[in-house]
Amino acid sequence: MTTLFDPSRIPTLQQQERIRPWNKRTKKFDVTVALAVIVPLLIVVAMFQFSDIPDALVMVIYLPLQLIASGIAASLTKGKRGIGDSIIIVNAIGASIFSFVVIISVIWSLLSHGLKALSIPFLTQNSTYISPSTPLEYGGIAHAALGTLLIVAISALIAVPIGIATAIYITEVRGKAVPYVRFFVQSMSGVPSVVAGLFILTTLILTGAINTSAFAGGLAYAILMLPTVARTAEEVLRLVPDDLRTGALALGSTRARTVFQVVLPAAKTGIVTAIILGVARVIGETAPLLMTAGKNDATVTNPFSDPISTLPVSIFENVAQPYPDAVTRAWGSALILMVLVAILFTTARLIGRNKVK
Amino acid sequence: MATPDLQQRDLQAAATSHRGDRVFNRAITVAAFVSLIILAGIAVFLGAQALPVFQELGFSFLTTTAWDLTTDPVSVGIFGMLYGSILLSVVALVIAVPASLLLSIFIVFLAPKKLASVLTNSIDLMAAIPSVILGLWAFYVLNPQADEWQRLLNEYLGWIPFFENASGNFLGTPFIAGFVLAIMVIPITTSVTREVLGRTPPDLINAAEALGCSLWTMLRYVALPYGRGGIVGGVMLGLGRALGETIAVFFVLKLVYDTNWYHVIESGGGSVATLIVSRFGEASGPFEVQLLLAAGFFLFLMTLIVNMIANLIVSRTGRLKK
Repeated sequence: MTTLFDPSRIPTLQQQERIRPWNKRTKKFDVTVALAVIVPLLIVVAMFQFSDIPDALVMVIYLPLQLIASGIAASLTKGKRGIGDSIIIVNAIGASIFSFVVIISVIWSLLSHGLKALSIPFLTQNSTYISPSTPLEYGGIAHAALGTLLIVAISALIAVPIGIATAIYITEVRGKAVPYVRFFVQSMSGVPSVVAGLFILTTLILTGAINTSAFAGGLAYAILMLPTVARTAEEVLRLVPDDLRTGALALGSTRARTVFQVVLPAAKTGIVTAIILGVARVIGETAPLLMTAGKNDATVTNPFSDPISTLPVSIFENVAQPYPDAVTRAWGSALILMVLVAILFTTARLIGRNKVK
Repeated sequence: MATPDLQQRDLQAAATSHRGDRVFNRAITVAAFVSLIILAGIAVFLGAQALPVFQELGFSFLTTTAWDLTTDPVSVGIFGMLYGSILLSVVALVIAVPASLLLSIFIVFLAPKKLASVLTNSIDLMAAIPSVILGLWAFYVLNPQADEWQRLLNEYLGWIPFFENASGNFLGTPFIAGFVLAIMVIPITTSVTREVLGRTPPDLINAAEALGCSLWTMLRYVALPYGRGGIVGGVMLGLGRALGETIAVFFVLKLVYDTNWYHVIESGGGSVATLIVSRFGEASGPFEVQLLLAAGFFLFLMTLIVNMIANLIVSRTGRLKK
């Protein structure tokens, strides 16, 4: 017996979101689209090969050519209204290709230039007695990598507890000031990194309270890290079901115990993601470190006493040097920095994915 | 099974009934206001540095374009730098806004699910690239390319005032710096516009289709008007980022103490953040450091205002409606 009304056949919101009425396709449509892609490509390739028009100009000619071809194809298959669609679609695909090209170009140039610098001494030595003209066999960036890790660790120690506390205020304590706190955290995420550096410089370093050191750099980084941690942690704590909170309270637990023994453990992986994203946000910032941490060719382990070098600052120092070896060192440092960022980024993604499942 | 909604009142009653909780509440509340304290601290401490500069130089600090401490009285002003920051941001937005809109249209409405998630992830990765690495890339990889593009622009469109170039030098131009900024702005703007467009109610889309809308008309009359607020907010967030960016611009922009009004492919331009970094290393004394701190104060004010407006717009258009 067939029922007239089957509730399971109503598309859910999730399925509805994938409804794309303009994607209806027929064979004629597919063939025309294929032609519209191939013909301009062939013309452009021919121009590359057989004419003396400069290559860059040919690339510029390609877009209008593709637009015209797609417009013709669209008007043949879908009539006049198809032309607007084709313009949108061609440009949207173009924008996507553009972003892919940029990312691949950055990663490719990092690998192709940076790998030349990598060697055991580069990874294990510091730069004492090394000048920009010293050949690549000598000196390394171990001191800078250590400096970066030290400063990031200091800033995480400061920013993570405050950031999580801010998130707890918004989702657990739910005081009267919640909208204001959120607003200020969001505004804080827009503070330019150079201003964070200037702030630490003028309040603590110029007044003589602390030295130009890893600690000062960590404070500047903490200003930049705090909003990222707070916002991500807030979103994560929001996912913890209210049932857990009411359950804990019903068992007679205090508010603080509920947070520390129920809510935070339930959101453990998400909190880790928040910390990782905060670290990834700051790890490549250069401008604040120029003012607060300085640079140092030797290895420094005391976070309060001396200026200290970091990966971003060592890149900054070596860019635009007239010596090829110095530039290769900059690419090498950049590669290592990018690898650190990529590891953090992937870890956050993997943790986040498990969380959703 | 329905659980009663937790009312703020109930939570507060539960929260204040125990002494340990009162301590906990107070500690958390104090921590929550750290961000406000820091923002206020930045305004107060940098403002305190800007005040004596203002007393000495008056408004000429904001209206002149010069950086010469050897003359007496010193001729110093950051107008060209403030204007330069805005010009670079405008160039960046002209490139980034259409690109991010098209990207999010592609991700939300067009791309197959797999491709959409690959694209989303790689744009997030783009946001994670440190600006110093982007600067390094721009200096060695983008510069030669951009040089060629700008020569073409000048050759074929040189009659448009924007594309004039008298010096024949096409490096260190606002166009290149703006292009690098655009690469940083695109991920920020895209993540907001993508979310906003993705929230267009499917019913509206289906209704538009039933009325015979094509993709173009649907976007024009349904999706874009629906997400207008969020899109504007996303653009403003990107603007805030572009105004404050330092290192990448430092590598590719030739800083000149002269106002480059609109010659975007002429070598030389200004940027407050870049001025601070480039002069900081060779500051001639406490007075010059104070001048840089004052410049930092105005940079802070400018980005703070832009960001606050952006956040107001974004939060009003639905982020809270979830």
